[in-house]
Amino acid sequence: MAEIMLQGQGLIKEYGQPIPSRVLHGIDIDINTGEFLALVGRSGSGKSTLLNIIGALDRPTAGKVIIDGTDLYSLGEDELAYFRNQTLGFIFQFHFLLPQFTVFENVLIPYLIYHGRAGSPVVKQAEELLERVGLAHRRDNRANAISGGEQQRAAVARALINQPRLVLADEPTGNLDSKSGENVFALMREINRDLHTTFIMVTHDSLLANRTDRIVELRDGLVLCDQSPVIIE
Amino acid sequence: MRGFRFELQLASRFLLENRNQTILILLGIAVGVGVMVFLSALIDGLQADLIKKTVGNSPHIIITREVAEPLRNPAEPDGFFPIQIQRRGSRPVVEWIELTNTLKEEPQFTAVVPVLDGPALLRSGSASGSVALRGMKLEEADKIYQVSDKIIAGSPELAPGTLLVGSELAEQLDLQPGNTLTMEIPGKQPVSVLVGGIFDLGVQNLNKRWVIMERNRVAYLLGLQDRVTEIEIQVKDVFQAEELARTWANRLPGYQVESWQETNASLLTALRSQSNSSYTIQLFVLLAVTLGISSVLAINAVQKTREIGILKAIGIRTRSIERVFIIQGALLGTGGALAGTLLGLGLARLFILFGSEGYQLSLLLKPATLAIVMTLTILASVFAAFLPARRVARMNPIEVIRNG
Ligand SMILES: Nc1ncnc2c1ncn2[C@@H]1O[C@H](COP(=O)(O)OP(=O)(O)O)[C@@H](O)[C@H]1O
Ligand SMILES: [Mg+2]
Repeated sequence: MAEIMLQGQGLIKEYGQPIPSRVLHGIDIDINTGEFLALVGRSGSGKSTLLNIIGALDRPTAGKVIIDGTDLYSLGEDELAYFRNQTLGFIFQFHFLLPQFTVFENVLIPYLIYHGRAGSPVVKQAEELLERVGLAHRRDNRANAISGGEQQRAAVARALINQPRLVLADEPTGNLDSKSGENVFALMREINRDLHTTFIMVTHDSLLANRTDRIVELRDGLVLCDQSPVIIE
Repeated sequence: MRGFRFELQLASRFLLENRNQTILILLGIAVGVGVMVFLSALIDGLQADLIKKTVGNSPHIIITREVAEPLRNPAEPDGFFPIQIQRRGSRPVVEWIELTNTLKEEPQFTAVVPVLDGPALLRSGSASGSVALRGMKLEEADKIYQVSDKIIAGSPELAPGTLLVGSELAEQLDLQPGNTLTMEIPGKQPVSVLVGGIFDLGVQNLNKRWVIMERNRVAYLLGLQDRVTEIEIQVKDVFQAEELARTWANRLPGYQVESWQETNASLLTALRSQSNSSYTIQLFVLLAVTLGISSVLAINAVQKTREIGILKAIGIRTRSIERVFIIQGALLGTGGALAGTLLGLGLARLFILFGSEGYQLSLLLKPATLAIVMTLTILASVFAAFLPARRVARMNPIEVIRNG
């Protein structure tokens, strides 16, 4: 039943000129549709780098990323941008809503980028998402006028508006207190379960990692272990 | 292209967010545009005034018979004709009735006046003065010179044997309406004529030399039956005169067709160089406006790095971001140009209202000038936005995502 949606093949990333330092040393990873994966490891082990490469944001020095049969880095910049918009959802550590827009408008932005105007089905969907993340009452607030936890939940709603196949979250709870963090995680898990959306979440929180389907641990740019959480501890 | 709506929204939100900055740069553009509009109105007004003074009450085109060599009156080495247009020949135009009728069919011509000129000497007691005898029908002369409105003594009538003299000449010969004097025409018997009225055409030369008499009477005195020496024409648009003169010169072989531009070339050169210096000033104003917009947008772009990073991460294209900044430039330019036009108009109105006494300031706001100033400002604004737009749009979203 497991269907592979993402393949990372021999991913190498080097930074720096003229003396390059290698951050990823050749990573192979397959991710199944509907999986909720936790990416863990020490600070500087390459988690964010890997996530950005998987997220079509950063070209690897070598290797391939194939998502649903598309070899990402054979695409041009504009095609990559369109791919990110249509297929991927992003949740960042620094929630990153646009302060010039309301919460509701922020949720719609990924849709508006390519459509300009939101028709009623999308508006309805955005409202449902806000309801789901518990922000219906914050709908028309300025994005910077709500709490950090609320902003991150709004960011979750924004990541989902285009119904992405894969959501990438880099320490989504890293800047939140434990209650808000728990809230956001529960929300992601729920969406993963209900919509069968694939999630890759970078986290430092081993308790949260233990509640995912699969834990991949990086060390110094290599996969140290790749297990299901029951086996750990 | 559907994304354009969002780009427009983004641009206006960015501008609204930095309201003070936006208002300041709008003011800057407005002042620049206001200066340009006002300066244009001032220069155009002055020039229109000058041109009106030069050609308002004089012929724009004069048609004469072409002659191999200029005929000059040996008694008058300077020639007889004191108005700006030099007359080279005074050979009579024979078929003038037909010619006048043809000319009157040209819709661009507002006045077509056949004139018979001749040299004469006026004697009053011991005083005498050589004059240019101008034979015209009064109602025709009025079409160009408005003689009837410019009679300062006597009456605007040209009864047989009556003439109208210029104010300077009247003073020189001590003439009053009703006086009789002697007129001598070379090679003819002296005749006695009556001063019917004194005119002031506002040009010293004309007031000193001109004597207006009924055309048929002049023909009789000169022994030229039913002839004229030239046809004077005014046109609708004075700047078309040169072109029209050229066209008609081709259609009328054997005639000399001369426009006011040819005879006032130095005036036109002066006006042109005045315009050029005004354009230079305006160019620098525009440059200042462009630099202002460019630097404000560059600052704006840096301030919006975060937002642009996020938007790129969630899939906006580089070109879209570029457009967001170009739209900002266009919005600033359009808003500033509109406000600046109003400012310029207001400034013009103030100048007319409170301009110093005795110094009549004439302002001329041409719609075409307004359109050019506005278009240039908007183009400059878009151009000003280009550099910051390109730079910021090419940023790598990774930088923002990594560093928060
Ligand atoms: N743009 C860059 N230039 C040079 N080195 C970088 C750059 N980005 C990341 N690195 C280095 O790559 C390594 C991995 O970083 P990162 O992927 O952010 O790790 P993690 O997310 O696991 O903390 C770190 O040593 C970091 O300093
Ligand atoms: Mg990281």
